[in-house]
Order: sequence, then structure tokens, then C-alpha cells
Amino acid sequence: MESIYGNKKPELEEVMQMLLREIGVIRRDMAKDLGMDPIEHLLGRIKSEDSMREKCRRKGLPETTESALVQIRDAIGLRVVCAFLDDVYTIHDRLLALPRVELVEEKDYIRHVKPNGYRSFHMIILVDGTYYAEIQLRTISMDTWAALEHHLKYKKDIRGNLTLINSELKRCADELASTDSSLQTLRDMISDL
Amino acid sequence: MKILIAEDTTDLNRVVTVMLQRFGYDVDSVFDGEAALECVDRNGYDAVILDIMMPKMDGLTVLSNMRQRNITVPVLLLTAKAEVDDRVAGLDAGADDYLPKPFAMKELLARVNAMTRRKTKYSKGVVEYAGFSLNTDTLELSAENSVRLSMKECELLHLFMLNPGRPLSADYILEHVWRADDAADADTVHLYVRYLRRKLSGVAAAAQIGGDRGAEYILTEA
Repeated sequence: MESIYGNKKPELEEVMQMLLREIGVIRRDMAKDLGMDPIEHLLGRIKSEDSMREKCRRKGLPETTESALVQIRDAIGLRVVCAFLDDVYTIHDRLLALPRVELVEEKDYIRHVKPNGYRSFHMIILVDGTYYAEIQLRTISMDTWAALEHHLKYKKDIRGNLTLINSELKRCADELASTDSSLQTLRDMISDL
Repeated sequence: MKILIAEDTTDLNRVVTVMLQRFGYDVDSVFDGEAALECVDRNGYDAVILDIMMPKMDGLTVLSNMRQRNITVPVLLLTAKAEVDDRVAGLDAGADDYLPKPFAMKELLARVNAMTRRKTKYSKGVVEYAGFSLNTDTLELSAENSVRLSMKECELLHLFMLNPGRPLSADYILEHVWRADDAADADTVHLYVRYLRRKLSGVAAAAQIGGDRGAEYILTEA
């Protein structure tokens, strides 16, 4: 069977590597001012064949390269995880300033928290007017929380009180957000010294 | 609300129990001090009424046992002894109130209501200002989204919300929020104000805390 990406997979890989390199430049540049690496970890992936086909089916789209690269926009996916809240926004701003990058859509789930407690910043960009990429930016706390919530969402046989689990997950999300804020305040205070 | 009454005079015990039940209280009744102590050990009560002169163990002994075991539930003492010294002894032993016999039923009821009032009436958890709310039970600050504050942040914000538009000095704040904590000082207050500033803006509350270290702080609408 031909790849859902046609013969574009190498180009997708190249665009992803370019974005990772650019983020590397942003990161090193920020580190000069901050005295610390703003990024705790950086992940990039091209969505697997199976996942992309499954997503096409889920969205009622034909399993074609057009669906995969134009209709669906996260063939290229990046996740940037920062230790500090302000750095999430700084990296967002610098990504948009890149010449080859154009913003298509963004959702600030940090400000507009999802009802379950999920927080992150999602961006969909268009690179070189040709390839879309989805970038998620978040703090370590948000990432930890999201990993647990993801685990819960995909676990098949949950025993126990789901209502209680969900309300406690929300409470933890809100406590983690408070701690992120306090740590950022402390970092501000330290750099004022 | 759950009450324990320990009174050895059967008729009086019965009358008080029935009256409290009629006013919505859930009542356990015992007739001596040992039974009273067993009950408070086993169950949680919102208030305890103890007669002083009881068989097996007197009310003051029950009371001091309770306080030693860190059972802090409010206690009202009943007794025929009405001298000042007796009242002082009872209050000093850890009682919250003292009612000499004979007493009017409506006074006993009023005093029991007063003792249990704090649990319900004053516990109104949510305060609001400038379109944001603070739940002092859950420590939740909400406007466009919500965060959970630490205890001290919540108490500090609550203090500001009780004094909107009024300048508060660091000393005033320390007295009301950090009370007995010797380690806290003007720097602590300033840091916590900074925490609150960022959290208020994080939830997009239309309010701000003005002021600086060394001067007074003030909560106003943005």
C-alpha cells in the first residue's frame, strides 16, 4: 500500500528538522538572557501511517494525501515543554517571528482552560506556504498532568469513582497552575536582585 | 448538627433532649461522666452539654480529659453551683460556656445555637469582588479560569477583599494573616502580594493590588 503521505514523507521530515533547529536557535538565544535553558524537553514526530489513516476515517475524510496534508494539519507535530510559564509565551512569540512561518490558528488553553483542567498553548503554522505543523507549548506541570489525563482517557477498564477522579484531576490542575505562577514570580524576584 | 448531653437527672435529661431534637438537632443522651467520655471518644459532636455533678466521673474531669485528648468540640457546663469561682474554674478547664441551674429552656437553646453557629453561618465560603470570586473553603480563585491558592495566599486575598479600596500596611497584614509567625516580615508580605498579582492576572480578574514594599497595599478594580 502506498504511504498516506504519497512521496512527501522526506519533505515532511525535513520541515520538522528545520523547525527543531530553529527552536534550538531560539532556545540558545533565550538562554543567554535567562542564564538557564528555557526548554526542558522538545519532541517532534511525523504522525504514523496508522494514526493518520485512523484520523482520516474519524473525520469522514478519504484516506488520501490531500486529506493528510491539507485537511488534517498535524502530520508534523512538535511539543515544547518549558520549566517556566513566561518562557512558553516567549517561545510562542519568537516562533511566529520566523520568516518561513505563518500562523494559521492558535488556541490559548492556558488562559481558556478546558473544563477538565487541561492547559497548553496550541499553534497551527504553515511553513514555506506549503506544509502545516501543530506545535504544543506547555510547562512541565501541564505536561505531567496531561500525561495522566491521557492515560485515563485511553484506559479501557476503569474501576472506581470516575466523577471523583475527574474532579480531583481538575483540582490538581488548578494547584499546579498556582505553583507554576508562584515559581515564575520567584524567578522574576531573583532576576530583579 | 450532633449534640451530646450528659445529665444524671433523668427528667431534665429527657426534657432537654426532646427540646433539642424538636429544633433539629441529632441528640445522644447519657447519664454519667464515663458514658460521656466514651461517647466523645467514639463519635464526633458539634457541641457537648455536661452537667458537673454526675456519678462515676464529674463534668470537669470529663472536660479536662477531653481537652487533654485534643477533643476541641465546644462544651457548655450545667450545674447547681453558681459561684463565680466555680464558673471561672469551669471556663478555665476548657468550657466554652456555663449555665447555672435552674435555667430557662429557651436560654439553653440560645446558647447551644450560639456555640454551633460558627460552623454553618460564618462558614459562608465564597466572597466576590470586581467580577472574581474566592472560595475560602476550597481556596479556589476564579474568574475566567480558576486556580487553587495556598492557605496564606487565600487569607491575604480574603483580607484585601474584606477591605476593598482601603490601604493596608504591611504591619496590619502581618497581624491579621501571619499572626504568631515570627519569621514573617515585610518581605514576606511583599512576595505574597506579588504572588496574588500574578494569579489575579492569570485568572483575568478585573482587579489589582496597588502599592509597594514600605508603603501600603490596596485592592481596587482594574
